[in-house]
Amino acid sequence: MRAYIIRRLLLMIPTFIGISLMLFVVLNVAPGRPGKQAGDVAADSRKEGTQESYRIFREQFNLDKPVLFNTLFALQQSDIERAVHAAFGGEHISPRERILAQQKLEDYGAFAVPHLVALTRDYDARKELQLRDTAVYFLRLAARQPLIDQFNPHPSVQVRAENTRIDRENGEINAMRYAFDAPEDQKQAVIAAWYKWFEPKVGRFSYSFAQKVDIFFFETRFAKYWSNLLRLDFGVSLVSREPVVATLISKLKYSLSLSVLSLILAYVIAIPLGIFSAVKKGTKADKSVTVLLFMLYSLPSFFVATLVLIFFSQGSDTQWLRWFPTGGFQSRDFSDLTVIGKIKDVSWHLVLPLICLTYGSLAALSRYMRSGLLEVLQADYVRTARAKGLPESSVIGKHALRNGLLPILTLLAGLLPAVLGGSVIIEYIFGIPGMGLWTIDAIYQRDYNVIMAVELLSTVLVLVGILLTDLSYALVDPRIRYS
Amino acid sequence: MSNNPQQLSVIGTLPKGTASDLDLISYWESVWLRLCRNRLAMFGLWCIAGLCLLAVGAPLLSLNQPLYWNAGQGAQFPWLWSLFNRLLFENSVDLFFNTILVALPLWTLGYLLWAKKRRLLSRKLLPKYLMMALGFHVALLCALGPSRFIFVDNPLYVTRPVLNYRVEEQRLHGAGQAVSSVFPMREWSYRETDPAQSVQGPSAEHWLGTDTEGRDVFARMLYGTRISLTIGVVAVLLYVGIGVVLGALAGYFGGWVDNVISRAIEVMICFPSFFLILTLAALIEERSIFHVMIIIGVTSWTGVARLIRAEFLKQKNLDYAQAAVALGLSQTRIIFRHLLPNSIAPVLVTATFGIASAILIESSLSFLGIGDVTAASWGQTLNAGRLEQKLWLVLAPGFAIFFVVSVFNLVGEGLRDALDPKLKS
Repeated sequence: MRAYIIRRLLLMIPTFIGISLMLFVVLNVAPGRPGKQAGDVAADSRKEGTQESYRIFREQFNLDKPVLFNTLFALQQSDIERAVHAAFGGEHISPRERILAQQKLEDYGAFAVPHLVALTRDYDARKELQLRDTAVYFLRLAARQPLIDQFNPHPSVQVRAENTRIDRENGEINAMRYAFDAPEDQKQAVIAAWYKWFEPKVGRFSYSFAQKVDIFFFETRFAKYWSNLLRLDFGVSLVSREPVVATLISKLKYSLSLSVLSLILAYVIAIPLGIFSAVKKGTKADKSVTVLLFMLYSLPSFFVATLVLIFFSQGSDTQWLRWFPTGGFQSRDFSDLTVIGKIKDVSWHLVLPLICLTYGSLAALSRYMRSGLLEVLQADYVRTARAKGLPESSVIGKHALRNGLLPILTLLAGLLPAVLGGSVIIEYIFGIPGMGLWTIDAIYQRDYNVIMAVELLSTVLVLVGILLTDLSYALVDPRIRYS
Repeated sequence: MSNNPQQLSVIGTLPKGTASDLDLISYWESVWLRLCRNRLAMFGLWCIAGLCLLAVGAPLLSLNQPLYWNAGQGAQFPWLWSLFNRLLFENSVDLFFNTILVALPLWTLGYLLWAKKRRLLSRKLLPKYLMMALGFHVALLCALGPSRFIFVDNPLYVTRPVLNYRVEEQRLHGAGQAVSSVFPMREWSYRETDPAQSVQGPSAEHWLGTDTEGRDVFARMLYGTRISLTIGVVAVLLYVGIGVVLGALAGYFGGWVDNVISRAIEVMICFPSFFLILTLAALIEERSIFHVMIIIGVTSWTGVARLIRAEFLKQKNLDYAQAAVALGLSQTRIIFRHLLPNSIAPVLVTATFGIASAILIESSLSFLGIGDVTAASWGQTLNAGRLEQKLWLVLAPGFAIFFVVSVFNLVGEGLRDALDPKLKS
């Protein structure tokens, strides 16, 4: 058994990595700018200040790096030339293409430097001055070196010294610029300064095989993300700049209390209902319960949630039905309340969401319970128990129930992630600031780190849930053995 | 056996429920008979048929274009031409249903002629004929390119300025001009907005009221049937297709193929699929209903693949499969003509329940505001009702979703009982 558990746990690792890989690719290949609402692609790319802060933002979250494999060291001059053309703009280039090309040139960073220098030479020789100016502009952006470990609040002394040096160099580079309408001889002077700057640094921009391998695999978003993940660092939210894990834990409080309560409630109601239905099989009571459960099973939860909000919340049209709040997890004056008052307040807020979250799983569970118990009631040992003359209550309560409960108990492990997922809509409708609402907000704002963290968490939950289900089968049913 | 007319007459007169008679008929015929005896499931089937009719006939029930129009300049038939107007029917799903609507009389004629030629006006031929006609239709539409997936100009789908004939008629009446016109039952298009009429309660004019943009809710419910049915059926067909092929490969070949596919299944099962669907749907700009279908289809094939794999593992060692191998049939033929028909039964049940859940997923996506904006989706109206806190805006779409979901669930349960009579007793 122990060997089996260990093997299963080990098997989880590749599954987890596979899933995280797929999620990562899906998220990062999807169009749209992260940290921004969809739609405002070009909104603020004109002002230099915002552009600069967005560049730092991209660097901070490694968004300037390729997703899975970095092949930028193999860039050809023609690639850069095409990008410079597009970035300069022109008749055949849409504003969107232009912005994307500018973004691309900035993201190439150091990999584009030698090509940009060569291009500048070319354009200068061919007297294509405007393109040359564009190339010089992007050369300045590309030549800047990123600081080492720049988002670490407590750098070591060497790192700080090194960063000071880089900062000075960057300052010098930043000075090698000219306005587009500057006189030609001033431009020539700056360009000459660039050639002089580049000459001793050629070596820095050619890569050995080992360096290429290193860049290919590790200078990528996925590698950076995973190296952080191994340290259990899920990064910070791209929107609020708060650590994802801390926020996740604070949100989990709401979501978990909602889903755990809902599960308990579902079991507490479903088991007696299922037993009742199975014992009274074929009677009118059983039939009406079955029909009711079937209807509950098919009712969409967001419909019910909206209905109860319209009827029973503070916003209700009917005066005397305003029993519950319109949403939220607790009242505004929550911190002033006594302990009992706090419990009362939270439960007052949770009644409606709990109902909406529970009835679906309740219906499913109770149908399982009914069919499970019916199957057991046909077994020989139940007939034997009856033949022995045991009272019916004892036959059902002691002999049948124990085996009849097995199928729905083993469902428990699998239900938790499902309930957590299902609470997304409920939290959205009732405005409960839990994980679900947070996820939806993150999705709307393309907050990749948050989305990844939530999806990885729910993957882990599912993985653990499946394992627990399999194990609980073996625990409760001695006929099943894993080896 | 199924093509033998004498056999058919036996089924027609079959006394219900005697095992000796059931021996005469094939497995699927017995399943069908058992299903026929399940009144709830039959009710569900009839409801589905009715929903299909509603979906196809929606323009006959509500559209602002008259079937017949004569304002003194001769007879015009704007309704017929408006069916293929992109400005009235934004969604390419509508094009599919509208072409069916136009072709329906032709089909009926064709069916009558065909059946007469075969000298067999039997009910048995109807499904076959329906499948053929539908297949032909889909092929035609694919060839003509209903959307921008295929880069040819669609001769069927035009963009032409729309005259709102209802308003026009009122104007002409006001001017004292005689107009003779025949409108569909209700004269609203599901896209026609009217800011002055937003969020009105039910009235004689708008049977179910209007939504936040002043669109007629009744028309939106009607056309929403098209969206829901299409989403359900296409998404499920997609994942049944993927699941059947992968499951069959894994089950039939075993070895490393099975290993690879089983691992893939395991990975997909652990996928946080609802979150993934949410994320994907939100990240795609210019979402269309086809994106939603594809996302649902791609994320939920694991159940089908597992079922088919298990069935194949069982079936491939049975005598008939061994016989097929011994006869030297090709592997494709063995898999798809011999093993698959014998393994598909449990998939049918999953697929029927799957349609219900796909419809639910789509409506919750559009409820969250990340569905297809151009589609008259029920979830969208429901969300409008939630924001406006108006009961009539919530009840109509809510009950529509509930009805469709429970109908498919009913049929699914009936099918399960019919396929596996042991379970029922």
